[in-house]
Amino acid sequence: MTTPKSERELHLPLSRVKTIMKSSPDVEAVGPEPLYLVTKVAEMFLVDLAKRAHKNCKSNQLEYMHIAEVVQDDDTLDFLREIMPRKITVRQFKELMAKKNARRRNSDDSTEESSEEETSEESSSEND
Amino acid sequence: MAEKLEDLNLPLTVVTRIVKDALPDGVAITKEARTGLAKAASVFVLYVTSAATNIVKNKKRKALTGQDVLDAMRDIEFDRFVEPLGEALEQYKQIASARKSGGGYVG
Repeated sequence: MTTPKSERELHLPLSRVKTIMKSSPDVEAVGPEPLYLVTKVAEMFLVDLAKRAHKNCKSNQLEYMHIAEVVQDDDTLDFLREIMPRKITVRQFKELMAKKNARRRNSDDSTEESSEEETSEESSSEND
Repeated sequence: MAEKLEDLNLPLTVVTRIVKDALPDGVAITKEARTGLAKAASVFVLYVTSAATNIVKNKKRKALTGQDVLDAMRDIEFDRFVEPLGEALEQYKQIASARKSGGGYVG
């Protein structure tokens, strides 16, 4: 048995991709053709995401926040937003909350409940 | 079924190599960025799989095909991947059929 050349060109292990695919409900068997394509597209996705994140780099170091920025700015990456929140420091979080409270005090007499969602996206930080 | 939880993540070393090859020389990638990229690609695999499975279900078929994966790209609005992935599918099919008729070896 030899492996077709195009399969050898893949870098990600097919077996691992298969395990991930099979963890999805309703997937029983995964044939070699769809497995090859999903692995291929996963690599394309990785390269694409890394290149776009790299554009957000100011220095020569790619950091988590550069990737999170791409994810939060592109609607087609919505499926990643929960697992890749923008991370902020405790200090930034406190400042944010202070601002939010100030805004609430201001809006109390005019319009209620407007600043609620703005900070929720950012609040799941610092814990992994 | 995956036996360990890490079986559901793509291997960090391979992910790092792919990313390094794609970026200009000398770019450092922090540990957190590597883990993030690996996690993102793993979730992407699931996302594509579920989109392709939906197509199969709607067509009342059972087995997943390469074309379903290709069609799934449009459904999840990753149209930019359709063309290169279509080429990959063609190439794959050619090699697979050559392997069938030519007794196994493709040089």
